[in-house]
Amino acid sequence: MKVGLEVHQQLATGKLFCACPSEFSEEVRHTFSRRLRAAGGENRAVDAAATLQAERGLVYSYESTASDCLVEMDEEPPHPLNGAALDTALQLALLLEARPVDEVEVMRKIVVDGSNTSGFQRTALIATGGHLDVGGRRHAIDTICLEEDAARRIADSKEGVIYRLDRLGIPLIEIATGPDISDGREAREVAEEIGALLRATGRVRRGIGTIREDLNVSTEGGRRIEIKGVQELRKIQEYADREVGRQQTLLAVRDQLLARGATAPSGPVRDVTSVVGELASGPLAGALRKGNVVLSLTLPRFAGLLRSGANSDERLGRELSEQARAAGLGGLLHSDELPGHGLGPDDVERLRRALSLGEQDGFVLVVDRSRERAEAALRRVSARAAAALEGIPGETRDPLPDGRSRFSRPLPGRDRMYPETDIPPVTITAEHLAELRAHLPERPATRRDRLVASYHLPPEIAGQLVASGDADLLEDLVRRGRSPGPVARLLTQELPVGITAGASESEPRVTVEQLDELLAAAEEGRFSKEGIPAVLAALLAGAPTFDTAVERAGFTGPPVDDLDVVADRIVRANSRVVQERGEAAFSALMGDVMREVRGRRDGKEVAEAVRRAIVRLRAEGDG
Amino acid sequence: MSDVDQKDPWPPLSSLPMGRRVEISDPAGSVWRGTVVPHHDFSGDRILQIKLASGYNVGLRIGPNFTFRLLEEPASPAAPTTSVPLPAPHLAEGPWVALLTTGGTIASRVDYETGGVRPVSGEAEILAFYPELQRAGQVHIVPVFDRLSEEIRPEDWAELGSRVVESFRAGACGVVIAHGTDTLGFTAAALSFLLVNLPGPVVLVGAQRSPDRPSSDGPSNLSAAVQVARDPRIGEVVVVMHAGPSDSRFAVHRGNWVRKMHSSRRDAFESRNGPALGWVEDGRLTLEGTVQPPAEGPPRCDLPIDTRAGLLWFYPGLAPEGASAFARELRGIVLAGTGLGHVSAAHLGWIREAVGRGAVVAMTTQCLGGRADPYVYATGRELLQAGVLYLDDLLPETAYAKLVWALGHSTTPDGVRALLRTPRAAEFLDRHPGGAPP
Repeated sequence: MKVGLEVHQQLATGKLFCACPSEFSEEVRHTFSRRLRAAGGENRAVDAAATLQAERGLVYSYESTASDCLVEMDEEPPHPLNGAALDTALQLALLLEARPVDEVEVMRKIVVDGSNTSGFQRTALIATGGHLDVGGRRHAIDTICLEEDAARRIADSKEGVIYRLDRLGIPLIEIATGPDISDGREAREVAEEIGALLRATGRVRRGIGTIREDLNVSTEGGRRIEIKGVQELRKIQEYADREVGRQQTLLAVRDQLLARGATAPSGPVRDVTSVVGELASGPLAGALRKGNVVLSLTLPRFAGLLRSGANSDERLGRELSEQARAAGLGGLLHSDELPGHGLGPDDVERLRRALSLGEQDGFVLVVDRSRERAEAALRRVSARAAAALEGIPGETRDPLPDGRSRFSRPLPGRDRMYPETDIPPVTITAEHLAELRAHLPERPATRRDRLVASYHLPPEIAGQLVASGDADLLEDLVRRGRSPGPVARLLTQELPVGITAGASESEPRVTVEQLDELLAAAEEGRFSKEGIPAVLAALLAGAPTFDTAVERAGFTGPPVDDLDVVADRIVRANSRVVQERGEAAFSALMGDVMREVRGRRDGKEVAEAVRRAIVRLRAEGDG
Repeated sequence: MSDVDQKDPWPPLSSLPMGRRVEISDPAGSVWRGTVVPHHDFSGDRILQIKLASGYNVGLRIGPNFTFRLLEEPASPAAPTTSVPLPAPHLAEGPWVALLTTGGTIASRVDYETGGVRPVSGEAEILAFYPELQRAGQVHIVPVFDRLSEEIRPEDWAELGSRVVESFRAGACGVVIAHGTDTLGFTAAALSFLLVNLPGPVVLVGAQRSPDRPSSDGPSNLSAAVQVARDPRIGEVVVVMHAGPSDSRFAVHRGNWVRKMHSSRRDAFESRNGPALGWVEDGRLTLEGTVQPPAEGPPRCDLPIDTRAGLLWFYPGLAPEGASAFARELRGIVLAGTGLGHVSAAHLGWIREAVGRGAVVAMTTQCLGGRADPYVYATGRELLQAGVLYLDDLLPETAYAKLVWALGHSTTPDGVRALLRTPRAAEFLDRHPGGAPP
């Protein structure tokens, strides 16, 4: 079994086919709704994935925000391909030693789940045939593509799905490795190295959700499974291992089915509403009273193999149930789960007789208010059961939080792509590639070595800085005169901790100037190194000035002595005013001293210091 | 001189037929396998496009040192297991609607092998594509001609008008005309003047997004149009298109009030002189305003027309000599003047001359909203005295269409002016209420 990885990274270059920024937005300005129709292909063929989605007759609601325009609304043709995004993809191709195409042709890839308002995703192949060396092994990079991200799924509605258009059109670079990764650990390492390369370009979006991984798992003799949208690198290992386990179980089930002569379901779908109605009690009876129908499908010689396998989670019955779910039902009941669900052993016997089942025959029951929907569900269950006799059908699956995955949609066939004629092709000249090659960003490995050599940082710290993309920030601060060790500690420990504590998922809300000031202040002894986290927390929480942050962190300004010195100086500088106007000079002097201490002391303290200073001055005058 | 007598691979490669499988190698050892697809109109020099197994098209610059070999077609046919046939339409009882087609695509198929988008033709295929059209009764498709809408000429309006009348005489309860959106407004206005005694609705409809896209507005527009075409309260020419970005609401526009006001939005069509006549929302048609009811007498197409008419948009810098030359061969000119209907005084000369030789010069406002009025400013008064006929709140395009009809029905300038001035198809709006601008 071989695993391949697809990494999708959002770019910060502005959107791919319009001038909108590549930014999420919480400002929903208006909403509109659409339906999408399956597009017909030349041979009266409609792609299975497209059929599945269009058949559900859903209405899609779209939220338009401050980050989208008529192009995202599918109300305006796309603009030419974003040059900065294309250059970033070409840089990646060069860094991965891949062969760019000579002319980029943007394609339309039909997607009918509503996540693209036009009903297709615009995507282009940029390069092929590269490689990546990780952990002493060379991995093939099959393809590098540039495509637009989809709209953001916000919620399900009664009639369909609600999407937000802010994410639609954000450029994604997709890097696909060959299926030559042998286990989950290797997958994680490859993903981390690809991520570091992407961040080296300096043009990627940062934050949660800006990089996503898909796993492709191929069985020997089987079709490819895609587990789409693994958000956490460290879980890649688990998903890969679990998927391998699932496939092994299903292959074992196939062998058993074949051994006992099981065949694809061929009989008609039966309406067993009245039969079950006479028998059922419990929730099933309740559902029938509400006017639902119950349909059944016979699975010849499948009995006992629907719930089986060493790992009870990886059952064929679950696969069938997921097909029913994909058709809009809550699930199904299969014969290995009975008796149960309100049907006793005698009831099951009577049902089996009514369906004329042999002892080894299994069956499934679906319950729904709509006969059409129930029939559509059973069509899919039937197809999946037939496929179980061959092996593992190609599928796209969604990752679940517990490390399992579940059926999402059939793997799209080749039928789904055709040229995006609204966008002219883009020629890549040798001169342009030479120009890009002359200015390639530094490879992560090279940068890691350089950080260690130049700044005497430990290799793991250097690795962390390169992986997180903060190496630039470190070098910027060092250029400003800060010492590398404390900078590294700030960037790899104190800052990430501070950001997590502040529960912010976006860019750190401190500027490089503030970090510079923070480190400089610690260097000068304004507060000790241990005080850095507290001042940092105040900055992250939005303190208006650095000094305010210091004050809020509890490191107040000059000691009392110094305040008197400041007050003295100012009072003496204005001694004539004091003599002429006496107490009336007080508020002007207050203002001057307050400005001097820049809010580090409160008014009461300053007032007392000024009064003391005035008293001292007068005492001299009088004495 | 090269050592090796190597043939340039470009000529044979560039003449390979579409769909041919080929393997191409470059001097550095990169290899691609795919099928030849048609050249893109904007492809560069020596660029060959092939479709890879993944479905992506790539463009390869075929250098002189590239090599290639032809590959055999795969032995077994492509597995069609992922394909599902389209459902057959259900037929219902009820009066039938004629769907006239003028070109532009109602339905299309994508050939994913070559990327070509082909129109679906033939009544059976089109109706199989859109089964919902016949939910309330049959639809018969009548192809009239096949032109992009920017190629449509006034002669085509006349032909369309005749075919509409034929359809009603053959028993249709309403007529839908599928039309490209670019000049749909012109055709709608022209038909509103050409068609008399309509016993039912004439509904023009189009699509802003091409039908090969899943998001096309075509199908839902067409469905709403057919619904409007069945409505017994309507006896005039209307346009039905999206009323906003959502697929749930469609506006019914008077044909001589409507204009395409945006190059690409679904709701590009707006009623300019007055409000929309009604809405189709969530499957229900609500009519507001005064719709012209169906007529008693037999329908007819009021020909002939005379195409010796012109439409001239005034702008700073328009040379009077050029305008004069433009007007010279014409019997009538509609001017789209600025503001309340003004042009520079430098044009008074040729206008007087044109009027003097018997041409009709009419004025509309290029503001596309509000009335043209000659009395408010001196310029207007001078134009009036030069013989220009002010046409109130008619859109320039509507006035032009009416002129084409009027010139066919009178040989004298006074006669033409009287026809232009006289309301015929509710094209003038006497009252312009306030509130939000259209």
